Amino acid sequence: MWSDWETFSAFCSGICPALFPAIMVLAAPLVGALLMGIDRKITARIQGRIGPPILQPVYDVLKLFAKEPLFLNRLYIFYAWLYLAFMILVVVLLAMGQDILMVLFVHAFATIALILGAMSVRSPYSRIGASRKIMQMVAYEPILILFVVGIYLSTPHPHSFLASAVMKLNQPLLFTLPLLLPAYFAAVVIKMEKSPFDVSSGHHAHQELVRGVTIEYSGPFLALIEIAHFYEVFILFFIMAMFWSTNLWIGAGIALAGFFAQILVDNASPRLTTFWMIRFMWAGPMLLALCNIVWLYGMGRG
Amino acid sequence: MGEWLLILLILVPVAFGLLAWAAPGDRSRSWAVTVGALATIALSLVFAVTAKTGESWISLKDLLGGGTEWLAFGLELLIAIVVAVIAVRIRSRLILALALVQIGLAVAEEWFSLRAAPALPGADFRIDSLAIVMVSIVSIIGSIIAIYALGYMKHHQAHAPATAQGSGRFFFVLVGFLGMMNGLVLADNLRWLIIFWEATTLCSFALIGHDGTLESRKNARLALLINSFGGAAMMLGSLLALSGAGVEHLSGITAANRALIPLAFLALAAFTKSAQLPFQSWLLGAMVAPTPVSALLHSATMVKAGVYLILRLAPGFTGSRVMFAIALAGAFSFAAAAALAVGQSNAKKVLAYSTISNLGLIIACAGINTPLAYATAMMLLLFHAIVKALLFLCVGTIEQKIGSRDIEDMGVVMFELPVTTLMALVGMASMLTPPFGMLVCKWMAIESAIASPLILLFLILGSALTLFFWAKWLGRIQTVSYHATLTREKLPLSILSAEYILGGGVVLTAIMGIPLFQILFAPLAVQTYQGIGIPAEQLSILDSVGGLDICLIMLFIALAAVANMLTGRYFKPERVRLPFLSGENVVTDARTFRFRGLKDEPDEAWTTALYLDTVFTEAKITQWTNWLAILVLLTMFALVVGV
Repeated sequence: MWSDWETFSAFCSGICPALFPAIMVLAAPLVGALLMGIDRKITARIQGRIGPPILQPVYDVLKLFAKEPLFLNRLYIFYAWLYLAFMILVVVLLAMGQDILMVLFVHAFATIALILGAMSVRSPYSRIGASRKIMQMVAYEPILILFVVGIYLSTPHPHSFLASAVMKLNQPLLFTLPLLLPAYFAAVVIKMEKSPFDVSSGHHAHQELVRGVTIEYSGPFLALIEIAHFYEVFILFFIMAMFWSTNLWIGAGIALAGFFAQILVDNASPRLTTFWMIRFMWAGPMLLALCNIVWLYGMGRG
Repeated sequence: MGEWLLILLILVPVAFGLLAWAAPGDRSRSWAVTVGALATIALSLVFAVTAKTGESWISLKDLLGGGTEWLAFGLELLIAIVVAVIAVRIRSRLILALALVQIGLAVAEEWFSLRAAPALPGADFRIDSLAIVMVSIVSIIGSIIAIYALGYMKHHQAHAPATAQGSGRFFFVLVGFLGMMNGLVLADNLRWLIIFWEATTLCSFALIGHDGTLESRKNARLALLINSFGGAAMMLGSLLALSGAGVEHLSGITAANRALIPLAFLALAAFTKSAQLPFQSWLLGAMVAPTPVSALLHSATMVKAGVYLILRLAPGFTGSRVMFAIALAGAFSFAAAAALAVGQSNAKKVLAYSTISNLGLIIACAGINTPLAYATAMMLLLFHAIVKALLFLCVGTIEQKIGSRDIEDMGVVMFELPVTTLMALVGMASMLTPPFGMLVCKWMAIESAIASPLILLFLILGSALTLFFWAKWLGRIQTVSYHATLTREKLPLSILSAEYILGGGVVLTAIMGIPLFQILFAPLAVQTYQGIGIPAEQLSILDSVGGLDICLIMLFIALAAVANMLTGRYFKPERVRLPFLSGENVVTDARTFRFRGLKDEPDEAWTTALYLDTVFTEAKITQWTNWLAILVLLTMFALVVGV
């Protein structure tokens, strides 16, 4: 129906300017939770288990809210709120068609809030997790910035950093950023804490880091982190869908393909070390991203 | 009136510095410094408010009558001779050689300018927006640091080594420094510029060597050596400008537009003063000095002289390949210094590398040389001055309290020094998180660097590494357990007020970042580039920055804060838990962070952040990056010849 994203947002804005961001903010965590549920189900099936119901992430959050709030200090609870607030802000900024570089920075700060929260408690597991999370950011952040630069160069003259300009593109981003898609995918695998890059926060409590960054959060405060994570999952795959912004269905197809691919990668690979991750990311995906950017300059888009 | 204000801005700090030196006791010295600092702030404000729009030119000849050229020549020679005398006293042949070269260059220049009859046109000083912004930064932030120093030095002198110089001389140089710096940013005549340039070199030599220990004397000597080299480069550039292009003013060099050789030498001088790679060693050595000195050198004075000079020269050379080399050198320093900071756990060293890194970013922006980049560079300069002053003052206070400057030892300060730590947190957060100015600047820097991919790559890598070293420190300093109430810290009024004012300044510039850009820096950039031929579409980028929604970010932070307050009712002592230590916590009445280890012996749970010293080894990286930086500088000179 609304295969054209712009028409949909224009339609909503026609009713009320805040309507479209509001719909996005409400829908994003639901989509994110659903994706995470599907993720768990598929992973279970790959491993020959039945797996939890698709809505299990939602049930988890609801149950967490009913638990007694326990805590270590006041500060790291504030960082949990900041993490959530900035993830929501990213969705709002995207819906408003704001500057993508700023969106990226706000998104980065959401992660920094999580890191700082983990570092403010005297817990070795949480601190080691936070240190590794910083390394993860160092590994993927340059690629994300190069991705934004690639988007900028793909927009027609005069170039623009606005997300709204991407939605107005005549041809899909994939045509100008073919190498950045795999590079971005590698960054998404890190952000989703999937093997081989799940170094900072294990999904399975038997690993050497136990739960890593979020280990000291519990009850309703952990629920905040989980909700923020729903938003993040939505944001990551929403941006992946932007590779084919001219047709929403194809874009969603790319995002879904990416989603299934990262589940496969997660199940097919062992967990590797932090340094291996940095070396891999700065050599492989970074090189892909750079080649793509240089190619764009070569086409005279600079 | 502007001309007398200008003279006062230079002389008042020196005069009060002399008073502080002559003062018989601590109390009268405090008065001299406080009044001098307040007078300098007041003067700079009056100067900024009463300045005419546009440029105005001031010649000493009109004020004092003839003979001012001889005054300038005399002062220039005098400073070079002072350097030579110091060189003999500290037995440094290299510095002596540089001082003799400077004397020779000064004489040669005098000979050339005497031959160039009739006298060359041009004024001694120039007042314009850039100069006014610089004077405000120097006078206001510098004065706050001087006031902080009153409280700090009382403690410092009590524990200082016996070799330390007296407080009087220290405050004379510290306050007088501001006057020299004001002169430096106002001078248009190269000769006056050189005088103030060399005077700041001497000031920093005296301040770094204050404690008189072997280490501080060694580092003071290094600072003098490198900056004398820069001074000689500047004098050579000025001589070449006079003999080649027939100009002896900064405005003449930018107007001549082809004066590329002087530009390269002045840029070299700027790199030494701003401690860009490969000249960074003197600034790292400078941390042996008392903390107010570091704060002053890093924020309001000294290193800012170099970036100021580049900002002054850049608009005259749009589209020049030399400017590209300068931008490349800056961007390289940005990334390399950030990489060097990653491996450091010494707080002052991290701050020093972060200064070098940020100055590199400013130089990169100035070298990119578009109105947007220029405005970004100005904004970075302002933010960096405030934040660095604040951070050094906080680190100085923390160091005096805990007796260590190792970052990993700072896990206790949140409880023991809540105010100082909060200010330090604000300062550090402002270096990398929204909505603070630094991030907005980095955002604008990347947006304006997009036309030069190589520079962009360095900016991107540098940003990632910057995040790395700040996040580690932030994490350590804010470590805290649950306390029903925090301790009240007792600090001298001068220290506390300086911290509050600068902390308030950081928050204010965060709130005012975008308006400040639109009201002050964007018009400044547009005005600077007027008539130079910048395409209109680049000017229009300036407007798009206004579309950035800082208010929205503020709103979400406020929402998080409100939500956190609402959850506050759950924070009860009985709900506090110990961290997870595999269920092996040692349980006593007091909360501990120990666990039962081998043979059930209690053991402290302790982790440090990653410093990766096998990868980010300082000596190894310094060696490599220095060679690369030299290569970039040689490229700059090659481009001059090639053009």
